[in-house]
Amino acid sequence: MKKKVNLKIGSYAFLMPALIIYVSVIVIPVFYSLYISLFKWNGIGAMEFVGLSNYINLFLNDSIFLTALKNNIIWILLTLLVTMTTALGLAVMLNKKFKGRTFFRGFFYFPCVIAPIAVSIIWRWIYNPSVGFINEFARLIGLDFSQSWLSDPKVSIYAVFVAALWQALGQPMILFLAGLQGVSIEVLEASLIDGANGTKQFFLITVPLLKETFVIVIATLIVAAMKVFDVVQGLTGGGPNNATQMLSTYMYSQTFTYNNVGVGTAISCIMVVIMMLVIVPYVSFTAKDD
Amino acid sequence: MQGKQKKLFKKAILYIILILIALIWIIPMFTLVVTALKSKQDFYSGIGLFGLPENIAWDNFINAFTKGRLFTYMKNDLIVSGLKVPLGIFIEALAAYALTRLDIKHKTGIFIFFLIGMMLPMQAALVPINIIYSKLNLLNTYFGLFYVYVGFGISFGILILRGFMKGIPKDIDEAAYIDGCNKWKMFIHIMVPIIKPAIATLLITDFLSTWNEYLLASVIINDNAMKTVPVGLMTFVGEHGTDYGYLCAGVLIAIIPVMIVYLFFQRYFVEGMTGAVKS
Repeated sequence: MKKKVNLKIGSYAFLMPALIIYVSVIVIPVFYSLYISLFKWNGIGAMEFVGLSNYINLFLNDSIFLTALKNNIIWILLTLLVTMTTALGLAVMLNKKFKGRTFFRGFFYFPCVIAPIAVSIIWRWIYNPSVGFINEFARLIGLDFSQSWLSDPKVSIYAVFVAALWQALGQPMILFLAGLQGVSIEVLEASLIDGANGTKQFFLITVPLLKETFVIVIATLIVAAMKVFDVVQGLTGGGPNNATQMLSTYMYSQTFTYNNVGVGTAISCIMVVIMMLVIVPYVSFTAKDD
Repeated sequence: MQGKQKKLFKKAILYIILILIALIWIIPMFTLVVTALKSKQDFYSGIGLFGLPENIAWDNFINAFTKGRLFTYMKNDLIVSGLKVPLGIFIEALAAYALTRLDIKHKTGIFIFFLIGMMLPMQAALVPINIIYSKLNLLNTYFGLFYVYVGFGISFGILILRGFMKGIPKDIDEAAYIDGCNKWKMFIHIMVPIIKPAIATLLITDFLSTWNEYLLASVIINDNAMKTVPVGLMTFVGEHGTDYGYLCAGVLIAIIPVMIVYLFFQRYFVEGMTGAVKS
């Protein structure tokens, strides 16, 4: 009897280091954030309990917060429309057998390994209105214009998105490539014999067979779009005039620039709630095979 | 014959499309390299981005390394990543082992509990970590950064290692126990050698994400002598915002370690990732 108890404690000991660190770094701080978000606090002085008014003010009186929320939604739509379709297109091409396939796969994946902050510095320079690559190149081929990409509120969010697309395309591309390996060649050949052409085959057979991959890609893209921070912070810091403000950058500036710690933590808690709406169905889908 | 021609034609189109996209995709790297070789004057004296400079501005690289403190930033990043990656994987492997093969209650529940952390925004833990760290004097320390990096890496590590260990037949355990192994010996001598491929994948992805991490480091570190590469690069931008030759030289140096890792493991990397995701 005693020996059996010891055995069990031994088993839990393997789990303990991970559990202790995980709880102390993530779980406790998240609940602590929730607690702080109920206070008006500048991070140093006395905390004043205000209930839910940080949340209410954000939704009712804070137009920058609503802009940030809208921008996150635009970002999600852009990643689903542009990033996902481009990644799928590339994956389909790179799944064919031809010389140089491995090179191209590695080539398109490469930007994923560069620090997003480094990426933002490179793109800042590409977008430079006087001597950056885009405007210089336009002059080189005889177009005379100098668009300011990052300081024009109408285009800045798309300019930042292009930089993010360049960096992040490789991840969904790899996921689609993995999914395509599960599509058997026999099924595809059989469909060709049955008279399907390439396009028909793609939409009627390949896409439905990739259902699980789509779930993974869509979930990870939405989560990444809600989290997006480094590239935006490095390129615009949320400007010009909040045109590229995201929940993450707004949380950061409210907390660390303006010392509205209560408001900052409230924004981060709202981010958690929105992400849970995506995560809970996704996790239950993933854990289904258990 | 016609079919063959059609096939050739299709292949040619495929190459043309891929090369066109590749040409667009190379622009940032091209810009980075040609800029790093030029001095600030070159851009405004009519040479521009595409012209050749009279003298290659090697100074950019030397200055970035010394005056720009890149050497310090890279050293710090290497220390933190060098500690975090192996120790983190070890801790994750222990937990994944417990979650797949030991007699523990609520295995799936605990696994989901770990999984949620992967998707939470770091922002949600940022303020409390900052408060706790300033009370414990852990701001601006290697250990402070190391500890939160391990915490935020646990979910992904357990996800990958658990998936891999689940695929190993249980007969091996029984045979090992009969041979007199205890759980610990079984883990070190039998499990670790089998999961080597998964550990290798994690080593690479973990190194890259730790080396590149910005948000947590920017909150925990503000002392120039302790900054990691991404935080250092942002400081660099603040100090030399318009001197792009110098900035690009800095970025180029900063991404060289990552390029080396990638070139060495590239094949394994992309193909390996495809395999890891598939299983």
